[in-house]
Order: sequence, then structure tokens, then C-alpha cells
Amino acid sequence: MAVIHDDIGRRRFLSQAVMGFGLLFGLGTLALRFIQFLVPSPGPKRVGAVLIGAESRVPMGEAVSLDLSGHKILVLRTDEGVVAFSRRCTDLGCLVSWNKEREQFLCPCHQGVFDKTGRNIAGPPPRPLDRFEVVKRGEHLYVSIQSV
Amino acid sequence: MASEVSQAQVEGDQPVGQSKSWIDYIQKDLPEHLDWWPYTLGAIPLTLFGLLVITGLLLTFYYVPSPDKAYESIEQITNEVYLGWFVRGVHKFSVDLMILFLLFHVIRVFLTRAYQAAGELKWITGSVVLLVTFAMGFTGYSLVYDNVSYWGMTVVTSMLGNLPLVGTPLLYLLRGGEEVSGGTLLRLYDLHTKLLPVLLGGLVLGHVIVVRLVGFVDVPGSRSFHPFYPEHTMLMGAVAVGLLVLIVDLVMIFPPVLGPPANPQEVASDVSPPWYFSAPYMWITLLPGPVALWSLLGAAGLFVLYPFVDRILVQRGWPMAIINAVVGAAVVGVVVVLMILDTRM
Ligand code: FES
Repeated sequence: MAVIHDDIGRRRFLSQAVMGFGLLFGLGTLALRFIQFLVPSPGPKRVGAVLIGAESRVPMGEAVSLDLSGHKILVLRTDEGVVAFSRRCTDLGCLVSWNKEREQFLCPCHQGVFDKTGRNIAGPPPRPLDRFEVVKRGEHLYVSIQSV
Repeated sequence: MASEVSQAQVEGDQPVGQSKSWIDYIQKDLPEHLDWWPYTLGAIPLTLFGLLVITGLLLTFYYVPSPDKAYESIEQITNEVYLGWFVRGVHKFSVDLMILFLLFHVIRVFLTRAYQAAGELKWITGSVVLLVTFAMGFTGYSLVYDNVSYWGMTVVTSMLGNLPLVGTPLLYLLRGGEEVSGGTLLRLYDLHTKLLPVLLGGLVLGHVIVVRLVGFVDVPGSRSFHPFYPEHTMLMGAVAVGLLVLIVDLVMIFPPVLGPPANPQEVASDVSPPWYFSAPYMWITLLPGPVALWSLLGAAGLFVLYPFVDRILVQRGWPMAIINAVVGAAVVGVVVVLMILDTRM
């Protein structure tokens, strides 16, 4: 088989370049689509108020842990009233628990500490705990699942 | 005709009659210093890698990557399957020893600066092997699905999720959703048993080939040579047998145990990861999030590209041999202190 070695002219070079880029573009798009296939889309955010019961269900100075459709929360009752915090530590997502003696939320993962208002006071957490709004209708408390 | 051309090229490069056959590669002469153990540390992880592939394959016959079955299946492997505890134990100790010897190997190369010109590719492939091995370690202990695994997955994926731009997609990619779930376990299982082993195998092969092509570092005073086969092969075989004995003993003395099962509602009181993640774990505990994340990523990048950093600093007249000794000692010191702190907390 004889190979003809003629100079690659401008035309030929350009057409090859265009084809090359076209091919790369096509493959790149395909790869991107494959990655998109692997990355699931976030589910719809559910918003709404969830009944958590009478205020008296939450003892003074204690926190009740609840799981409301995937949101893990702690409902805390102090002198200032009832507040609901997300248990998700703002550092790297472990779960905080309420320590009654210290009146603090503690995260066991990297010793993050939050005070009773949810403020991050020690350890790596960069911001306060997320809060959920608590509404009182009559005797009943509702937590609205949409952080404030 | 194409073959004629390549033949001519080969003969053009080398004197006629000296084209290499595979025998030459097998009987390649190795410099004498390879008899001294610090220079043979790379072959040990290679042996262990083989052992990991075999025991790993065996384990996949029983392991079920689903949140309700994973822990149970490991319990079954550990307590019911004939020699299951042994296979799992060998797998576990092989990882520990592989990482340990990779670290020794890295330290030796770092101190002798064997990554200098022509050796850069050896270092880069090798350093990526170390990073992928860590990824294997992480995905591997996640599969156990005990409480440490579960919160480890949560913490590590959130950490990657904090990266700018790529963070959120990466988080979804690894978790298979917003939260750590059965999807996460399946994804980490796929990574651990398919993608990463293939990648690691390729990298290890690449590293070995590069080492053979580029050649070994010149060590002053090492003049004489010995052939790869049979002398060096024998030595490696002896080391491999020794390792095997060591691992078997270790598994007998410390049979594998299983922590409490994963509980998404409560964090375990002690979430310390395996020893090889203990130092980074303490690092992210002691430092604020972004600082910890960026310093770890920066360190990994610097580590991979170190030969080039070395070259630039040498051009500026820095005494790199001394600097490497100091940096090496400092890093080892910090890591040991962090590990001790972890056991105290
Ligand atoms: S996850 Fe809570 S302190 Fe790190």
C-alpha cells in the first residue's frame, strides 16, 4: 500500500481541525450527560406545619427529639418559650444532642458546641444551628418545616 | 511495510542485534543498594495489593450493599461463614499494612529525593496511588455500615460538599441524593469494588512500568549490580512470605471485630476513624471548617507536585536535602501528635 505524502494544505488542515473539534465537542457533551445521569436532582422541598402536640409535652429545660419527614429536630423549652432547632450540626452534618446539665447542644463528631439559643460557641461549626419556626395554635404547637 | 519501518527505527536507535527481548527485562540488572531494605519498600505494598484483590473478591460473594443487609452480611461473614473472619481479617490487615508501607516508602523517597529529574513521573504516579489507596480505605470502611462508617460517610461527603462550585454536585454524586442513604452505600460500594480498584491497578502498573523505564535512583557507593531474576525475585518472594506469615499471625491474634450498627438517629459516642485517617480527623476537629478543608487539599496538591517545587527551590539555592529532612520530620511529628490527641479524646 503506497502512502501519498502530499503536504497538508490549509483546507485539509482546517477541515480536520473542524472535525476534530466536532468530535471532541460531541464526546464532551456525552460525558457531561453521563455525569448528569449520575447526579440526582434534588427532591421537591416540602413546606408545611407539623403538629407536635401540646406545649406540656416538652418538659422545661429539656429537648424532645423528633424526625419530621427527614428533618431531625430538637424542640427545646426554656424560660423564653419553645424553640425548634435542626439537629444537623452546621459543621459537617452530624447530629447534635441536648445536654441538660450544660444547657448546650453538643456534637460528638468534632466537639462542636452550641448554646441554648443555637449559637455556635466552640469547636469547628461556622454558624448557629438552623431554626424552625414554632407556631402555637390554641394549646397545640406546630413546627413549620422550612427553616427560618 | 509498516513493520519494516518500525524495525528500521528500532535498529536506528540501537546497535544491530541488541534489540531487547523480554528476557532482558526479567534479568535486568538492579543496583546493589536495592538489597538494603529501605529501597525495597515499594514491593511490599504491591504484594499486599495482590492480597487485597484476592480477599476483596472473596468478600464480594457474601457482602450485600444495601442499608438493611450490609451490616448483617458482614456479621455473617465474621461469625458464620467458614473462615469468613479470617478472610475479612486478612483484608483489613492488608489495608493497614499497605498504607503503612506506602507511607514508609514515601518517606524514604522523600528523604533521598529520588523524585529528582527523570523521576518526577515515578513520584506523581506513586503519590496518586497513595491518595487512591486512602479513597479505597474510606470507601471500604464505609461498607461495614456500622456507626463509625455511617457518620464517617456523612462527615466526609459534607466536607467535599463545602467545596466551591463543584461541591454541591459532588455531594449529590456521592450521596445519590441529599442525605446519606442506601444510594450512598451502593455508590461507595461501586467505587470500592469497581472504579477505584481498576484505577488503582492501572496506576500501580503505570508506576512500576515508569520505575522500570526511568530506572532506579543513583545512590552514591552503589556500584555493583544483581539481576532482577533470580536474585531480586527471590528476595521479594521471601519478603512476601514473611508478610503473609505476619498477617496470618495478626489476624489470629486480633480477629476482626464489628462496631455497633449504623444508627442515623444517634451519633456514636466515639466516631474516630481508622488510624490512617486519625490525623486528618483531628485536624478538622481542631481547625475551623474552611481552613481545615483547604489546608488538606493544598497539602495533597503540594504532595503530588513536590518534585517541581523542589526544582524551583533548588534553582533559588535552597539546601533541599536539609529542608526535606526538616519537613519530613515535622510532618511525621504533627501526624503522631494528632494521632495521640485522637486517642485521648
Ligand atoms: S460535624 Fe459537628 S462538629 Fe463537626
